[in-house]
Amino acid sequence: MNSTLADTAPDGPRSDAAPAAKEPGAVLLTLVRREFWEHRALWLAPLCVVALLALCAAIGRIHIDVDEAPDLSSESQRVAIFSIIQLVLAAPLYIVIMFVGSYYLLDCLYAERKDRSILFWKSLPVSDGLTVCAKLLVGLVLVPFGVFGLALLAHLVFTAILGARVALGTLPPVLAWNTYEWLRTDAVMLLATLLVVLWWAPIAGYLLLVSAAARRAPILWATLPFVLGPVLEWVAFGTRHLLDFIDYRANGIWWLLGVEKTRIVTKHGLYSVGTALEVLDFRALLTSVDLWLGLAVTAGLVYAAIRIRRYRDDA
Amino acid sequence: MTAVIEARGLTKSYGATRALDDVSFSVEAGRIVGLIGPNGAGKTTALKAILGLTTFSGELRVLGLDPRRERDALMREVCFIADVAVLPRWLRVSQALEFVAGVHPRFDRAVAESFLRKTDIHMGSRVRELSKGMVTQLHLALVLAIDARLLVLDEPTLGLDLLYRRSFYDTLLNDYFDKQRTILLTTHQVEEVENLFTDVIFINHGRVALSASVEDLGSRYQQLTLASEQAARARVLQPFYEREVFGRVAMYFEGRSAAELGGLGELRTPSIADLFVAKMQRMGGP
Repeated sequence: MNSTLADTAPDGPRSDAAPAAKEPGAVLLTLVRREFWEHRALWLAPLCVVALLALCAAIGRIHIDVDEAPDLSSESQRVAIFSIIQLVLAAPLYIVIMFVGSYYLLDCLYAERKDRSILFWKSLPVSDGLTVCAKLLVGLVLVPFGVFGLALLAHLVFTAILGARVALGTLPPVLAWNTYEWLRTDAVMLLATLLVVLWWAPIAGYLLLVSAAARRAPILWATLPFVLGPVLEWVAFGTRHLLDFIDYRANGIWWLLGVEKTRIVTKHGLYSVGTALEVLDFRALLTSVDLWLGLAVTAGLVYAAIRIRRYRDDA
Repeated sequence: MTAVIEARGLTKSYGATRALDDVSFSVEAGRIVGLIGPNGAGKTTALKAILGLTTFSGELRVLGLDPRRERDALMREVCFIADVAVLPRWLRVSQALEFVAGVHPRFDRAVAESFLRKTDIHMGSRVRELSKGMVTQLHLALVLAIDARLLVLDEPTLGLDLLYRRSFYDTLLNDYFDKQRTILLTTHQVEEVENLFTDVIFINHGRVALSASVEDLGSRYQQLTLASEQAARARVLQPFYEREVFGRVAMYFEGRSAAELGGLGELRTPSIADLFVAKMQRMGGP
């Protein structure tokens, strides 16, 4: 134990020149990994859902609840079921991750202050900007698109298990594989994931800001303004502009896309999810000023969160 | 020699309280500096300013950098242990090494691992499973493995038992410190570490009460111990502080020669702890 660090350092004596920083990409990767170490629900919760879905596929009974039962002897109906199942399987995954991801964004900058570990993170040469961006990247990009990938996997597993049951004769042939429709359904889900991420980005930015700013109870700061604001407006002025605005920022994406025009489950039979590609107005959404305005606001909110983390001094 | 830290006129207020009031000092390379003061004296605020963790007015250069604007570059060359128990409780020991290795250009993982092998800490353990002393050991292992030029320690051994405290400072001195490194340390337990310091800065009410090297203290300050009956003779030489110990009087002088005081009683250089108490009492307590 008598050697000094200078002896063991491979590069010999220290120079006075400031050492080069690590590659930003390598640092970002480390920061991202750290998020999944701390917030294990981000990957545990979707995996649990997939496990449950696989269990359902293995032992569940198929019950198709529409007004008129589809004609399973028709190939097109079985392909449509194959496609619709993909959407149905993805739904619980997306719903679970919406809650887990929101909680994550709301907690990530608050937790490090609560347990005072922020002093440890800040003792390392990582900028506040990169730290906050890593958290945004996890919550807004990696987790949603990771879940998209997981949904694809879940669908393949589900289809394989059902296929095996059909082959064994324990299940009537309910679905038929069709690569073209599979790719079209994937495309719909991927586009929807991308657009939802872009449309809801301001919400993610707001959650991060609350997480950085709240002294306590960030969950109240994240929710109360959206409840009290409209109530106060209604009491004071009898109007509901705020409620309409909140509704628009949450659900406007569906109106702009024209989701109500899609025909998947109809009286006349089922249609593949891929048919939505011909109906949904992606152009209207992508050229909507509100979408890009929302992204600009997101940038502002994230910048504010970075500034707060950088200069906050809880003496 | 260039100063590692150069502070001029640092001022910082929290509401009506002046945490730092026109504080100036400098720290040379290769020194171990004790920043000593009572609770609420402004020590932690001074350290926060040095580490770029707080805003302030005044001039401050740390390793030639401005901590307010160049914090990220500064942190490549500065390490700090802000307090015990700031390692996140969910973190595994292996993850701590992985993380620091992933973000710090001057971290040598082998050094940290070899230090940890001498402890009872397991790679798979989470911080929450470790005792307070072990958490400090882990933090020390991370810091020792970083080839930094300035190490800032704020009460690093608070709440640890004597054995852990002793081994902490022994490791710091034997395995870490060399003439190219600088350590800035605050602590309450002055008696335990005063042999460590090469320099001391006393701070009280946000002001610097004393800033000197330990060699200078010997020539500047004298402690004279004599019988109470003879106290009046020595008092003529204007001690800045005196206290009674077991019927004898200890008097503290500044700038008196051994020739002036030698004949009056038992003369020696005051310990840093005694000098600190004397200085603080004269300033009207903490």
